[in-house]
Amino acid sequence: MSEPLPSAPHTIDEFVRAYEDSGKLRGFRCPGCGLVTATWGLACSRCGAADLVETELAPTGKVAAYTVLSVPGDEFLNDAPYAYVVVELDGGGRVTGWMPTVRREADLAIGERVRFVPSYKPGVQFAKDPGPTATG
Amino acid sequence: MRETWVVGAASNRFGKMSETGREAATRVSLQAIRQAGLGPKDIGYTFVANAFGISEHQAHVGPLINNGLGIPDVPSVTLESACSSSSAALHEAFVQVAGGFIDAALVVGAEKLSHMDTLSATSYFAIAADYAFETKNGATFPGLYATLASAYRQAFPTKDEMFGAIAVKNHANAARNPHAHFQKEISMATYLASPMIATPLRLYDCCPFSDGAAAVVVAAKEVMKSPVTEPLVVRASARSGSVTDMQDRPDLLGLPATRTAAAKAFRQAKMEPKDIDFLEVHDCFTIAEVLALEDLGFFPKGSAASAAQEGTTTRDGSLPVNSSGGLKAKGHPVSATGASQVVEIFEQVNGLAKGREVPKTETALAHNVGATGGSCSVHIFARR
Repeated sequence: MSEPLPSAPHTIDEFVRAYEDSGKLRGFRCPGCGLVTATWGLACSRCGAADLVETELAPTGKVAAYTVLSVPGDEFLNDAPYAYVVVELDGGGRVTGWMPTVRREADLAIGERVRFVPSYKPGVQFAKDPGPTATG
Repeated sequence: MRETWVVGAASNRFGKMSETGREAATRVSLQAIRQAGLGPKDIGYTFVANAFGISEHQAHVGPLINNGLGIPDVPSVTLESACSSSSAALHEAFVQVAGGFIDAALVVGAEKLSHMDTLSATSYFAIAADYAFETKNGATFPGLYATLASAYRQAFPTKDEMFGAIAVKNHANAARNPHAHFQKEISMATYLASPMIATPLRLYDCCPFSDGAAAVVVAAKEVMKSPVTEPLVVRASARSGSVTDMQDRPDLLGLPATRTAAAKAFRQAKMEPKDIDFLEVHDCFTIAEVLALEDLGFFPKGSAASAAQEGTTTRDGSLPVNSSGGLKAKGHPVSATGASQVVEIFEQVNGLAKGREVPKTETALAHNVGATGGSCSVHIFARR
């Protein structure tokens, strides 16, 4: 008898619906090597261990890399220009997403703080993080 | 393993084809087979690359190509590895010939995209990324490489003109290549004035959407008693993979699959970067040529951006890179690209690269990437 397959805590569709429905960023943590990932899988992409644990990712982080796109794909046809960002999340893990309010390269900088914004629009959406001063 | 040679290689003119991918594939195949001094009946297996053939409403094109060549009984298979599809096909052909299963193989890649508008073609290209976690989050193919470019430029001070010099160099090479999509030089001013597609990448940082077809014939040395061309000895045929998603890469300053494929290839060939005379690298965007040269081990990390500007990688430089014009200016008909890199090396070695000759042609390397580096092929060739 072969070992039973690990049970994936959720499906890709559930990842995507969570962005909109629960306002949460879903991910996995590898108890073996500590990798935190926002990409669906059955085993850790770094160490190969197949015992990933579902985890909620922090909604805030800083921009690791970004581009402002003038020519989008068909699902973002009416949204260009917008930024496509790789965000280093607080507490580990990286997520890619888009920022509809960033329309020029100079509107954003690597290292700038951003926050996940639940939206009915497709994909993971970020906005600039007003930070703790906004609420005192 | 048997010593394995590339004995024929042919390409059509990249750009806009009036014929279908199937027709073009069949035509360049017959050209490559004849150039090798062989006939279709010498082919033991046909390896096809046609990643977006489905956009022409045609899958399973291998048997149709073989039928058109008069060899319907020869087996065929289509391989998909995004932009590295035909170098993946070459690898499989090498494995079968070197392993002694067949004596000669046909490798053919073809792509037709010109029947689609820019939006549809951009969307087609983007499905080779992680559709759920990248494309659905707003990524396009230029957008993903632009993201890498932004990380690179943050880590290493880079001037626009350094990227511009790569585009200018590759256009100058393509202007002398009858297979190239763009057969005209561009100036730095033209580069700098071109519109932003995905910051920091301008229009002239990007390869075009091209139609095209290229074929390569691979045969065992022992069956090629009197070759009619100067064969390329396949000294290494290596493939590698890596984490696809940008969000899971340990760093954004290179393509891990290039590093691992190169390490395997140099080990197989018992060679080092200093032993290579010229190379064709996967420059779908100017930043991709920079990352390739560093990840392949020809330049330390952070130092290849100025190579074109300094003249190191021009045709008459000490390490000519993309004498064909590269994907950037020769064009990038996705599934034909890997095979067409071998066509350039074959033409250089056989004295067929008139007007764009590189000074030394004893050894060469071809580097072909699938999408943003989920796949990578590195082949090393040498004269007999």
